[in-house]
Order: sequence, then structure tokens, then C-alpha cells
Amino acid sequence: MNDAHLVMHGLAIKKHATAEDVAGILGLDLEVVRETLAKLVAGKRAVETQGRYLLAPAARMLLDSDYSRLYEDVRANPAFQAGYDAFERLNPLLKQLITEWQTISVGGERAPNDHSDKEYDAKIIDRLGDFHERAEAALDQLASAVPRMRIYRDKLAAALDKAEQGAIAWVSDARIESYHTLWFELHEDLLRLMQRERQE
Amino acid sequence: MTVAFGQWTLGLDGEGEPQRALIGGKAWSLARMQALGLNAPPAFVVTTAACRAYLASGEPPAGLNDEIEAAIAWLESKTGRRFGAGPRPLLVSVRSGAPVSMPGMMDTVLNLGVNDATEAALAAECGDAAFARNTHKRFLDLYAHIVLRASAPDFDPAKEPAAWRDAIRASCGAEVPADPREQLRGALRAVFESWNSRRARRYRQHNHIPDDLGTAVTVQAMAFGNLDRRSGTGVLFSRNPSTGAPEPYGEYLPRAQGEDVVSGKFTPQPLSALAAEMPKVHAELLEAARKLERASRDVQDVEFTIERGRLYFLQARVAKLAPQAAARIAVALVREGLIDEKAALRRLTPDQARLLLSPRICEAALKNAELLAAGEAASPGVGIGVVVGDSDEAERRARAGEAVILARPTTSPDDLHGMIAARAVVTEQGGSTSHAAVVGRALGLACVVGCGKGALQSLAGRLVTVDGRAGKIYAGALAVETPDENEDEALATLAAWAAKHAPLRVVAASSPEAADAVDLSTNEDAADPDKIGAVLGRLQGARGARGGAVASDQGVRAALRAGLEFIVAETVLPPLLAAIRAADAASLAEEVGGA
Repeated sequence: MNDAHLVMHGLAIKKHATAEDVAGILGLDLEVVRETLAKLVAGKRAVETQGRYLLAPAARMLLDSDYSRLYEDVRANPAFQAGYDAFERLNPLLKQLITEWQTISVGGERAPNDHSDKEYDAKIIDRLGDFHERAEAALDQLASAVPRMRIYRDKLAAALDKAEQGAIAWVSDARIESYHTLWFELHEDLLRLMQRERQE
Repeated sequence: MTVAFGQWTLGLDGEGEPQRALIGGKAWSLARMQALGLNAPPAFVVTTAACRAYLASGEPPAGLNDEIEAAIAWLESKTGRRFGAGPRPLLVSVRSGAPVSMPGMMDTVLNLGVNDATEAALAAECGDAAFARNTHKRFLDLYAHIVLRASAPDFDPAKEPAAWRDAIRASCGAEVPADPREQLRGALRAVFESWNSRRARRYRQHNHIPDDLGTAVTVQAMAFGNLDRRSGTGVLFSRNPSTGAPEPYGEYLPRAQGEDVVSGKFTPQPLSALAAEMPKVHAELLEAARKLERASRDVQDVEFTIERGRLYFLQARVAKLAPQAAARIAVALVREGLIDEKAALRRLTPDQARLLLSPRICEAALKNAELLAAGEAASPGVGIGVVVGDSDEAERRARAGEAVILARPTTSPDDLHGMIAARAVVTEQGGSTSHAAVVGRALGLACVVGCGKGALQSLAGRLVTVDGRAGKIYAGALAVETPDENEDEALATLAAWAAKHAPLRVVAASSPEAADAVDLSTNEDAADPDKIGAVLGRLQGARGARGGAVASDQGVRAALRAGLEFIVAETVLPPLLAAIRAADAASLAEEVGGA
């Protein structure tokens, strides 16, 4: 797998990302990512604004056509398929959990969770811990077929750890690598490798 | 007294006062409910002492199995059902219960006792084979997840229990026992072992909770709300949790189980339906709600099931209230003599007060407003701007100073930068768990989702107003108003009480005293809640401050630390409530520090 493809893939997952973001999610050397990004910008495959990068539209099409070719073996790997299937079965559970994190039920209607009820929040973070323990097997299966995916497991565990320590932004804040951000990025990563469309 | 089956097991029968340390928090609240004369499904408890013995030796203590046999026989005689056999099978729930609640403890397993034979008996008893099958499936699902810790077995709903059992075996290599007594032993072991789970150990360490308390296990008969016409299930609030009106409010679903109400698959009926069908049960329910409310001095949320005309209380807890209801009820409870003013002021959070006083579209403007699209209200707030259909464009135009509304068929992480830049986000597809809804709430953005395919394309370039609370998108920039806290009876009362009890004065911008305040509105650091503490700390000889983030929770805490006499705010209630909470937290910290 060449660096140009991987870095473009990283940009497709981490939109509007810095070189550090891309290197972090792919587990690549930062210098390599910087050089590759510079080449992509020079070749008009990526656009840079204020240190953040976006794929150019033509590069997106190019990238999309890469997946069918480059990941045939991965898709045929039974461990990867099993891990992916488990991920898709876990995904609605996490979405439900995040919805309950962000909204509370008041007389049958959902209202925004203002996080003033520490007990409510603690219960959801507990459930997130339970969820993570159950997801570990699937994450391991994915990493056994695509070693760089080990990063997701480690980063998810790190986000959970911070949330459990009381830094609750690490549950679902979209601006940081919160549990939900990472789970969503992993989903995006998997959908691209599997060449599937997101449901909603 | 509670019924003792020996050294390790107690039956809860509403008598005596079993120790919380022995039976755990959940059984203890069950016993309290019984003590108030409320009828709960019969239950027994395997005590924390048994857990300690198990953890010490790795084996269930001698005699426990015999005691459990006796306890099951007791449940059977109380319910007229048989554990593991027809014609009327007894199913139970199994839950963990430590003396203090903590993370990592085992979740509740429902419907334990079901297997192929009891499923058939249950189907015959209730005349509903689909229900019996679903009961079986739910049990297998819960047992696999909770007891066997299977990752995510593939449960094809079209298949049979044998196939579900195969899927569980494939997922984790272990079997769900068919023998109900084996099931119960497995669940007991899982509860005991959850005491030493990673999360539980860590929580105890962090909170200095001794490692040798142990957890109890509550085994409770399942009540069936779907046996006949005189069966059903529902929830009751002792007051209306949305409006705060002082009448009980509830939903009732005849011939159904508890999870049906929560699932949203069925439309429940109002409580009046129950009053018409079973007036005595209805009266008993309302009386219980009153009792619970008086005993706890707060609004109660009660789950109940009616089995063949007999009312069972499954759970009672303090109700979650909408902000408006929280304000009205806090005032009402003081007037009724149930709580004092100080307690009332802690029943409404500063954020709830801010939400109640946040800008909204004027009633008058709504009357003539042209509705362009409507969807599901996913995140409250009002956003006004020009509709943009692309996230890159949204970001570019927002950076140039334009107010934009991001409209997408759906959103994905591709759109995050556009969402951050937008004043509101609207989508054509997806519900309250979709990416747009989840991220919109996280960003505190007004958000409307699921407006319908193609509903938004034509709006590009138009100026619109998005009402995230109502799920509507209107043409043009509608007038927005900020509610007046003096015009709402409950809020005005709370503000007057808060002024009396808060350690800081908050004055309205229109008050003459406001002129004496140091104005921080041009200080950039003062706009940042994380930096305002340093700004206020540097003020020399100031009596009051205004502007920036001074009225936020952090600003109020900083003002107290800096020894200010007053702050100036648009609405006085939220900062007053924040000041009261800050003083509470400070005195708590002092107590802990002094101890």
C-alpha cells in the first residue's frame, strides 16, 4: 500500500485535518505524512488552508476507485468480515447510547442532557465501558486483518479512560477524538474498505 | 421480619427493615416501596455475605444451593407459578445490588427461567406464541451479553431459538444453559464476579470504597402485563413532567409488557383509559403516587404492571422534569409545605433556567411565517442565515462573516467543518440518532433532521430561520424574542427567593447600580469562560462587573472568588442559581477538607 493512497484515505476519514491528525489516525510517521501531503497539494489532489487539508474532488474519485483494487484480500479475509459484521451489529447500540448521552427522556419526550445529573451521566459512561468491553473482540478481528486498525482500539480505550476519569467531553464531543468521533471515523474507514454506503 | 432461608438468602415480604449493607441498594429500595404498602412482585435476595464468601473461595458457599431451592419454592408459592415448568411457568429477573451503586456491576437479566418447554407453556397460558418467542429471544440476548459477555451475536429474528443458541456459541464459545436452575447459578456467579470487574475495582479505588463490601443479588418474579384483558403495563408521573401541572400524568398499554412502552412500537393510551377499564386499580395507582411523592418530597416516576387485575409496582424513582415543569413544581412544592425555599432553588439548574430564558421565535412572527420545511426537532435553539448545501462553501462563507445554515441530504464526518461554521444544520434524511442530530447536539447547534427527500435542495441561497425546538424551517429572518423572567410567575418567584439566598447580587442591566460595574465587554479574555477567572482576579477595588462571560457558571464562580458584590446580567435567575450552587460546592469541599 503506498503512502499517497493511505494519506488520501486518511484525509477522507479526517476531513479538514492537520498533518498530525492524519498521521495519528493512520499510525504513519509525521514526516512521511508531511512530505506526502506536500506532493498531493503540488499534484492538485489536495487543498491546503491554514495548515488543514482537504481532498480535491478529482482525488476523491480517484481514491474511491482505489478501494476495489487494493482491499480485495482484506474483504476476502474471514476474520475481517466477521469483525465488520460484528461492528455493524454493535453500531446501532452505540448510536443509541450516544443519543441517550446527549438527550434525556422527560415524560416520554427527549430533551437535551445538560449534564447536571451526574448519576445519569455516570450510568451512561458505565454502559460505554460495557460496550467497549464487548466491542474489543470485533476490534481485534479487524486489526488482525488490517494492522493499522489497532490504533482505533487504542484510541477508543484512551477516550473511554478519560471519560471514566470525569472528562466527559471524551464521550461524544465532535471537535476532539472522543469515543463517538473515533467510532464514527472507524465506521467511515470500514465502509470505504468494504465499498459500502452509509445508511443515514 | 424478612424471611430467612438460612445464612445467605432473605425473602422480601414487606416486614422489618433489612440492612442496606446486606441486601444492596436495589433490594433496599424495593423493601422501602413494600414498607409504604406498595405491592411489588415477590423477590428474594442472596446477600453480600454470600458474595464475600464466594469471592474468598471462588465457590458458592456451602448450603447456598439448598437455600436458593427454598427461596424458589417460596416464590412459587407466592406467585402460584413453577420455576422451569408449566402450566404456569415462573420467570425471574436477576440483578446485582451493591450497597453503593457503582459502574461495572452486572446489568439486569430478564425472563430467566425460559427454555423451549416453558416458552411453550407461556405461549399456551397467554395465548400469544409470538410474545412467548420474543420473551425467549430477549432472555437469550441478555444472557449472552451480560452473563456470557458475547460480543454481538447475529440474532436473525426470523430464526428459531436453536439458531440463536448456535449464534451465541459461535460468538463466545459458551452455551446458554437450558436448565433454569443452571441459568440462575450462572447469573449469580456473573453478578459476584462483576464485583471485581475492571470498572468496579477502579471506581472503588478512586472513591475509597472498601473492596470487601460485596454485592447482593436480587431475584424477583416477573409480572406479566399481557395475560388477558385485565392485564397491562404503564408509567405514571405524580405530576405532569412536561408542563408541571399538578395532576398525575401517565401512559397505559393494555395487554403489553414493560419494554413495549419504551420501544415506541405501540401507541400507549392515556391513564383515563385505565380509569375506565379498571377504576379500582386506577385509584390505587394514584394513591400510591401521592404516598411516594409525600415520602420523597419530589415528583415520582413509577413503573407498574397489572397482571390479571392485580397491580404491581416495578420501580419508583425521582422523575426527570422538563425545565418549565422543574420551575413550576419547585414553587408548588414550597407552597404545599413539602420543601423549603432553599431546597426549591436546587431543583432548577442554571442551564435549565437559561434554556427557559433563551431566545425563541416571536409568537407574532410565527403567525404569518411561511413554513418551508419541517422535520424532527433534533437540537433546540434558533438559527438564522442563508442556506448553503455544501460544507466547504459553508465554511468559506462563514469565515467571510456571513451567517449560514447548512442543508444536506444527510451529514457525515465530511461535513464537520461546515457544521461548526453554521448557525443551524438541517437534513433531509435520518432521525434523532443520525450523524447530524448527534453532532448538532454536541455542538449546541439548532438542528432539524429528516425533512424528507428533496425537501431542502430548492432552499439553497434563501434566507431562513431554523427552529430547532419545533423542528421547523421558516422563510426569512423572523423576529426573535427573549422571554422576560418577570412575566413568568414561577421564574419570578424563584428569582425573588434566589436573590434572598444567593451569596452574590445579580442586577439587571437597566438598574442604576449597573453603571458602577466594571465593563468587560471589550476584554477578549473575559469572553472566554476559562479565562474570566484570571480577568476578575486582576480587578482592583471593583464592586461589580458586567459583560463577557461574567454571567456564565464559571464567571459567577470567579466573581465569588474575586469577592465582587454584584454582577450585571440580562436575566438574573441563571447566575443567581449558579451562585447558590457554587456556594454549596464550596461548603461541601470545606466539609470534606475539614474531615
